Amino acid sequence: MSAAVTVPPQVARLQRNALAAAGVGIVGCAILGFANPAQFFRSYLFAFLFWSNVAIGCLSITMIHHLSGGLWGLVIRRVMEAGTRTLKALPLLFLPVVFGLHQLFVWTHAETVAADPMLRHKATYLNTPFFLVRAAFYFLTWALLAHFLNKGSLALDAGPNLKTERRLRGIAGGGLVLMGLTITFASVDWAMSLDPHWFSTIYGVMFMIGQALSALTFAILLMAALRREKPFAGVVEPSHIHDLGKLMLAFTMLWAYMHLSQFVITWSGNLPEEIPWYIRRSNNGWQYVAILVALFHFVLPFLMLLSRDLKRNVGSLAVIAGLVFAFRALDLFWMIAPDLVDHGHVVGLKVHLLDVAALLAVGGAWLALFARELKDRPLLPIGDPEIHELILEAEAEQARA
Amino acid sequence: MASPAPQHHHHKRPDERTHQAEADRLIAPGHDFGTVTDTISKIVLQRQTPKGWWLGFAFGFCLLQLMLYAIGNLLFVGIGTWGVTIPVGWGFDIINFVWWIGIGHAGTLISAILLLLRQEWRTSINRFAEAMTLFAVACAGFYPIFHTGRPWIAFYWLLPYPNTMGLWPNFRSPLIWDVFAVTTYATVSALFWFVGLIPDLATLRDRAKSKPWKIVYGMAALGWRGSARHWHNYETAYLLLAGLATPLVVSVHTVVSFDFATGIVPGWHATIFPPYFVAGAIYAGFAMVLTLSIPLRKFYGLEDFITMKHLENMAKVMMATGLIVGYGYMMEAFFAWYSSNTYEEFMIKNRMFGPYALSYWALILCNVVAPNLLWIKNLRTNVTVLFLMSFVVSVGMWLERFVIIVTSLSRDYLPSSWGLYAGTHVDWAAFIGTIGLFITLLFLFVRFLPAISIFEMRTLVPAAEMPEEEEK
Repeated sequence: MSAAVTVPPQVARLQRNALAAAGVGIVGCAILGFANPAQFFRSYLFAFLFWSNVAIGCLSITMIHHLSGGLWGLVIRRVMEAGTRTLKALPLLFLPVVFGLHQLFVWTHAETVAADPMLRHKATYLNTPFFLVRAAFYFLTWALLAHFLNKGSLALDAGPNLKTERRLRGIAGGGLVLMGLTITFASVDWAMSLDPHWFSTIYGVMFMIGQALSALTFAILLMAALRREKPFAGVVEPSHIHDLGKLMLAFTMLWAYMHLSQFVITWSGNLPEEIPWYIRRSNNGWQYVAILVALFHFVLPFLMLLSRDLKRNVGSLAVIAGLVFAFRALDLFWMIAPDLVDHGHVVGLKVHLLDVAALLAVGGAWLALFARELKDRPLLPIGDPEIHELILEAEAEQARA
Repeated sequence: MASPAPQHHHHKRPDERTHQAEADRLIAPGHDFGTVTDTISKIVLQRQTPKGWWLGFAFGFCLLQLMLYAIGNLLFVGIGTWGVTIPVGWGFDIINFVWWIGIGHAGTLISAILLLLRQEWRTSINRFAEAMTLFAVACAGFYPIFHTGRPWIAFYWLLPYPNTMGLWPNFRSPLIWDVFAVTTYATVSALFWFVGLIPDLATLRDRAKSKPWKIVYGMAALGWRGSARHWHNYETAYLLLAGLATPLVVSVHTVVSFDFATGIVPGWHATIFPPYFVAGAIYAGFAMVLTLSIPLRKFYGLEDFITMKHLENMAKVMMATGLIVGYGYMMEAFFAWYSSNTYEEFMIKNRMFGPYALSYWALILCNVVAPNLLWIKNLRTNVTVLFLMSFVVSVGMWLERFVIIVTSLSRDYLPSSWGLYAGTHVDWAAFIGTIGLFITLLFLFVRFLPAISIFEMRTLVPAAEMPEEEEK
C-alpha cells in the first residue's frame, strides 16, 4: 500500500516547469501588456476561460463518476480531484478579468447602454455589481462542492464505508444540478455577453461538454505520462484506458452535436439578431479557424477514436487527446475572440503574442497549483477494494520479477 | 451502556449489508438455467390463455376500433374533420406523432446504448422495451401518413425519386429529413428486435408441444442450433446492430426538433431544442417502460427477473432526463427575457398567462415538479409511486408538445391572425385509437413471444458466472 503514496518524479518536474512557464508568461504579459493594456485583458480572459474550463470539467467528471461508478473513474479520480482543488484559487485568477471589465464588456459603458434600448432592458442582469455577485456565487458553489467531495474521498482511503459513499453520491446528484445552472450562467456572463445582443439557448450546454472534454483529455495525457510510474504501473489496465477513450469519443461527438445543432438552427432561421455571430466567424480569416476546428476537434479524432486498438493503448490515445486538448483552445478562441475587439464590427483574424503569453501565465500557474495538489494525496484511491486488489497484484508481480 | 451499543452496531451492519445486496440484485437467488427458461417460456407456451389476458386484449381492441372510426371519418370527409386550421395548422397530428416517437426512444436506448455501456440491468427489460419501440413507431407513423389526406399516394410526395414532372422535395426542409430518420429508425429497430429474438425463438421451437407452433417458431428461428459458431456470428451481428442503433437514439428526435427549431416562429426557434427534445424523448420513454413493466412483472410473477433494482434504475434515468427537460424550459424562459426581443418575450408570457396557461402550468407540475419526489429513495423504490409517476410524466410530455406547438402557432407575429385551437372528437378518437393499437399489439406480443430475453437472463444466474482467471 505504501507504493500508492509515493509521488512520481514527473509530478515534481511538472510543477517546476509549470512555474517556469508561468514566470515567462507573466513577464511577457507585463512587458507586452504595459504597451497594450486593452489587448492584455482580451488575451487574459481567453486564457482564464481556457484553464478554468479544465478545472470545472474535473469537478463535473468527478461527480458523474460518483453516480456512475466504474474503474475508469477510480484510476483518474485523484487527478480529477486535484483539478477540483484548484477551484478555490479561481477567484484569484479571475481578478484581472474584474479589473478589465470596462475594457472587455461593452455593457459596462453607461453611455452605450443608455443609447441602446436592448441593453437598457438587459441592464437588470448585465450590470457590474450583479455580475460580480454572480461570479462570487459560482466560485463559492464550486469550491464548496470540491471541498466536500475531496473530504469524503479522502475518508474512503481508510476503507469502504457505505455511509460516506452514499453521502458522496448525494452530493454528486445535487451538485450536478448546481453545475448545470452555474456553468450556464457563467458562460453567459463571461463569454456570451461579450456580444450582448446575441443569444443562444444551447450555449451553456456547449460549455459543459467542452469542459468535460478538456478535463478528460487532460486526464488521459497525465495517465500517459505517469503510466510506467508507481502507483499506476501494473494497475492501470488497457480496459480502463479503453473506457476513457470511449468517453472521449462520446464527448467529442456531443461537442460536434451541440455546435452543429446551433449552426443548423441559426443558419436556417437566418434572423438578423442571430446570424451576425456566424457571419463574423466565417469571414476575414475566421473561416479557416472554423475549418481547422471542425477537422481537428472533430473529424480526425472521431475517425481515429473509432479504432479499438487505439483506445486501448494509452500512448496513442494520448496523441489524440493532446490534439483535442490543444484544439479546445482554438475552439474557445473562435467562439469568443471575434467579439473581443471593436464590438459589433467584423474583425479579421489576428493572434496576438499576448494570447500566447497569457495562456502560458495562467496555464503555468494553474498547472503548478494542480501539481502541488496532486502530490498531496495518494495518487490512487487506495481505500477502494478493487483498486487495493489491483495494487496488491501489481506489487506481487513486481516481487516475482 | 458501553457494551450493548457496539453489539447493536454489530447486529445492524450485516443486516444493512444483506439489505443492500437484496436491493442491488438483478435476479432473485435460487434460479438456474432451467428455472429461468421455464418461467419465461411458460408464459408463451401455456395452453390456457389467462382470463386477465383476454380482458386486457379486449380493452385494447375496443379502443382500436376508435382508430378505424377516425380513419374512416378522415378519408370520407377530408382533413377538415380535424381541428387544424389557420393559424394552428399543426395540432394533434404532430403532438401525437412527437409523443409516440419519443416514447420509442427508451427502447432503443435500453437495447443499444446500455448494451454498449455494459449495463447488465438492461437484460430483463430490453426485449419488451424494444417491442414498445416498434409499436410506438407504428402509432407515430400513423399521423404524418394520414395527415397527407390521401395516404395511398403519399409516398410519391414524401420520397425523392426522379419523375417526369421534375418535382423534388425540398431537401433543406427537416420534414424530408424526418422521412429518412423515421424510416431508418423503424427498420433498424425491427431488425434489432428480431435478431435479439432468434435464440429464444429456437428455445420456443424446442419446447412447443404442438406441431403447428413448432413449425412457426422453427421458421422464425432461422435454423438456429446454438453452436459455438452460431453464437460467435450472432454476438458480432448484435453488437454491430447496437452500434447502428445508437446514433438513431439521438438522430430521430434531433430531426424532429429541427421540424420546429429551423422555423422562425417564436417559441420554436431555439438552439437548445435538439438536446432537450432528445432528453424529453428518453424521459417519456422510460415513463412508458415503467408503465408497462410494473403490471407485467406483477401479473406474470416476474418479480424475480424485473427486480426493484431495475425499477429504481429506470426511475433514476427518468429523473435525470426530467431535470434536463426542466433545464430546457428554464433556458427558454430566461433567454426569452434576455433576448429583449418583443416576440420572444410575448411568447413566454403568452405561454404562462395566455389562453393555454392551464396547460403550461400543468406541464410544469407534471414534468418539473413531480419527478423531484424521486430524489427520495423510499419513494423511488415504491412500486405504486413509480407507477403513478410514470403516468404523470406521460401526461406531462404530451402537454409539453401541446404547449410548444399550439401556443406558438395560435399567437405569432400578427395579432390580426391570432386564433385558438382545440382537437375535435375525430382527433381524440384517433389519439385514443392509437393507444388502443399500442395496447393490442403489446398483448399479442406478450402472448406469442417471450417478453423477457431468456438467453440473456440465463447469463445472469450464478452458474453462468465465469471464474475470474478465465475472463482475462
